[in-house]
Amino acid sequence: MSDYMKKLVTDIKDHAELRMQTSRTRRVSVVGGSLVGNMSSVSKGIGARVYSDGVWGFASKSSTDEESAREVLLSAKENAGLLYSRMPKNKGALINAQKGEYTEKRAFVDVSQKTLVDFARAVDSYIEKTYPALTSRHVGLSSGCIEKTLATSEGAFSYQLFPRTYMIVSLSCEASDGTNIELFDVLGGGEGYFCDHYSDPALLFPMVDSLYQELMKKKEGIFPDAGEALCIIDSSIAGMVAHEAVGHTVEADLVLAGSVANGSIGKTVASPLINLTDFAHTAFGKRAPLPVYTDDEGTVCEDAVIIKDGVLQGYMNNLESALHFGVKPCGNARAFAFSDEPLIRMRNTAIHPGTDKLSDMIASVDKGYYLTRTQNGQADTTGEFMFGITMGYEIVNGKLGRALRDTTISGVAFNMLKTVDMLSDDIAWDFAGYCGKKQPMPVSMGGPSIRCKVNIGGR
Amino acid sequence: MENLKKSAQYILHSLMASGGDMAQVSVSEGRVEEFNMDAGEFSLIRSVFNSGASMKVIKDMKKGTASVNQLDKEAVDNAVNECLTAALTGVRDEALSIAEKEENCDFVSGALEPDKEKFFDSLIKFNEDVKRLFPEIMLEQVIASYSYGKHVFMNSNGVEFTEEDGSYSVSIMYSAHNDETVTSFNCVVVDFLDPSQDILETADVKLMLQRAVNELQAVPFSGKFTGTAVFSPACLCDFISTITDSFTGDLALIEGTSPWKDKLGQRVADESFTLSVIPTDGEIVCGERITADGYKAENFDVIKNGVLESFCLSEYAARKTGLKRSKSTSGCVRVHSGEKSLEEILKSIDNGILVCRFSGGEPAGNGDFSGVAKNSFLIKDGKIASPLSETMISGNLAEMVKDVKGFSKESVNYGACIMPYAAFGGITVSGAN
Repeated sequence: MSDYMKKLVTDIKDHAELRMQTSRTRRVSVVGGSLVGNMSSVSKGIGARVYSDGVWGFASKSSTDEESAREVLLSAKENAGLLYSRMPKNKGALINAQKGEYTEKRAFVDVSQKTLVDFARAVDSYIEKTYPALTSRHVGLSSGCIEKTLATSEGAFSYQLFPRTYMIVSLSCEASDGTNIELFDVLGGGEGYFCDHYSDPALLFPMVDSLYQELMKKKEGIFPDAGEALCIIDSSIAGMVAHEAVGHTVEADLVLAGSVANGSIGKTVASPLINLTDFAHTAFGKRAPLPVYTDDEGTVCEDAVIIKDGVLQGYMNNLESALHFGVKPCGNARAFAFSDEPLIRMRNTAIHPGTDKLSDMIASVDKGYYLTRTQNGQADTTGEFMFGITMGYEIVNGKLGRALRDTTISGVAFNMLKTVDMLSDDIAWDFAGYCGKKQPMPVSMGGPSIRCKVNIGGR
Repeated sequence: MENLKKSAQYILHSLMASGGDMAQVSVSEGRVEEFNMDAGEFSLIRSVFNSGASMKVIKDMKKGTASVNQLDKEAVDNAVNECLTAALTGVRDEALSIAEKEENCDFVSGALEPDKEKFFDSLIKFNEDVKRLFPEIMLEQVIASYSYGKHVFMNSNGVEFTEEDGSYSVSIMYSAHNDETVTSFNCVVVDFLDPSQDILETADVKLMLQRAVNELQAVPFSGKFTGTAVFSPACLCDFISTITDSFTGDLALIEGTSPWKDKLGQRVADESFTLSVIPTDGEIVCGERITADGYKAENFDVIKNGVLESFCLSEYAARKTGLKRSKSTSGCVRVHSGEKSLEEILKSIDNGILVCRFSGGEPAGNGDFSGVAKNSFLIKDGKIASPLSETMISGNLAEMVKDVKGFSKESVNYGACIMPYAAFGGITVSGAN
């Protein structure tokens, strides 16, 4: 397979990529004791992308034999030719294309559907027996692996596996005003197979207990006062700041489309405390939560330094944008499915830790909020970000007070980051999310607890 | 279609011959031809040839499901085996079932062959029109596609449907720029059948681009008030999707978290509010012909004159809750227009906000929501006043639909949904200061 991929793609004169991919997923979903989801899926195919002087052609088929590879390469070449014939750009060749090489040493490890069902049901059974007063409970377990083989016309070749496993538990109860209150958490998991993360379901029970205790506090929760507030954003959700508030605005395709970060390299965009990096595969001396070694254009992955001491250093690039900006690409071009073309995507995006203790940070706030859990977020061309807050507490005179009901925070990234005056000395990663940008993409994000000013929705 | 039927029959036979009590299968093939523009320039043409089979088997009232995107014997046999294994490891559930037999049908709709040249010409014209008429507009990303699919659904009760359709779609993500500032992005998605469609004149594309240019003057909102929010048709479409999911969907009813769970046949909204699911309406592009459960899709009202007429439930959720399954599981919806024009509705508002995009967290189970009012304008003394930035809104979905200030008589057809402007009271608007 790799031999004919290499041969076919190197026959193309311009830059070309041939990528074979298999995505396997197993999912189990237990709602109130009923097994409402019990599925497995396999998606397999081959995709080719060909560059022609500033424009691209792409084609894919859901088969992986040599003839299909030949067909998609030809079709991709024809598409590039059609676009070039009508809309020539004459941007020149991708002379910065690399010959990245990486071969995964680990083998794919499957898990049986029964193992997943039994594990999820054991957790559900514990919740049912321990907390019978809940109005609803939902246990979801997902185990999947993306297997990619890539060959490019420049001679890059990689074989990578991207396994990821995680469990999400959601609990609901009724507040005294009849309102249904929900809270969810990701219990364990991460990069790797089921057996890498889970063995005895009882090991998760303390996390379930902790989630329940927080739900009970939220049940008595209040709405925050709407408006700007001094907040401590907990390390567990600081990754959202790295990803939504900053990350998207410095993706070079969005920069070229006019994002607020355009023209800001070398300028102060944040407090001097802020350092932000999109890590490739190793972060702070450890394996990053979702490591990427070679991207889907054949570029060797390196860390992309975004902000250093509050000053914007660079963007995240693919080959084309790196050529445009005259910089070295760091391997941010990634495609989700075999039928998807690579786009500029984040990998492991994090704000570096500071030197403060979380307890000191909370004690330093006379009136504000401590925000501890999030669900979703969105970025904007303007740098105005938002993310939903599902758990938090008011801070009064340096002490935690009442819990909060669901709310939303927002701000303009480069304004908000200038208000950061304390960072905790720890870091937490969120690895269970997908980023949405034409295609979904598994990403990880991290950071320390952050003291800053943001707008908070409320009543 | 015959090859797909053979694949479906083979899978169905395999599932039943291996011990299944009930089984269903859906097999499809299709293609997508897609033009991409980035930062105002054409960047990529993409061709995708796809196929797939999804299957469900019930054995001893235990369910397994599996899907595969290759239709060769080895891939299909593996998927059948996975499906049966999943069922054996399942949990007995008396609510499990498959669709009952009704008259088998073959459905054909839309544009079955792409006209790539004409479509490309339309896109080039659109790009040129935007550059000429709206030089401040940056088309951040345009994804224009032709999609064709054929599909066979069969189950062990003898249900057999076939469906073949094709249509064009354009997703336009844009913002406005000048030397000093950039606006929030906004996005409009329109489906249609004519490859020569004048895209700028489709739905409310032209008006939204003009509004984006006006947003270059946006200022952060200061203060806080509770008043009326007018949602643009596209923004209303997002809110309606949230309402149908959170209040009438499968999980909300199975878990019992919907605030409308006991309200069937009762008033839940203002009497001017009628919400219909219209998958087979002639104004909808292709829509839905076969439900995910394997029934012939039909139009129905979710809310009629403010009264909750139906939930939006799959057959499983219906059997689980003792309620009726809905006649369609599609998102093709219409909010019925009112009698006043948008201008007349605006005239009646002293203090309010026109919201053209909402960026917020998932609403709470009871409908509490909060988020950023993007691409929005202050309404002052009956008129659209200054454009706004950094403005948040909050409210409660269940209360909001009871406090309707008006639906416009103008409506916009996006191909997949048809929406008017809608004005709701009781919305809190707040700025940073």
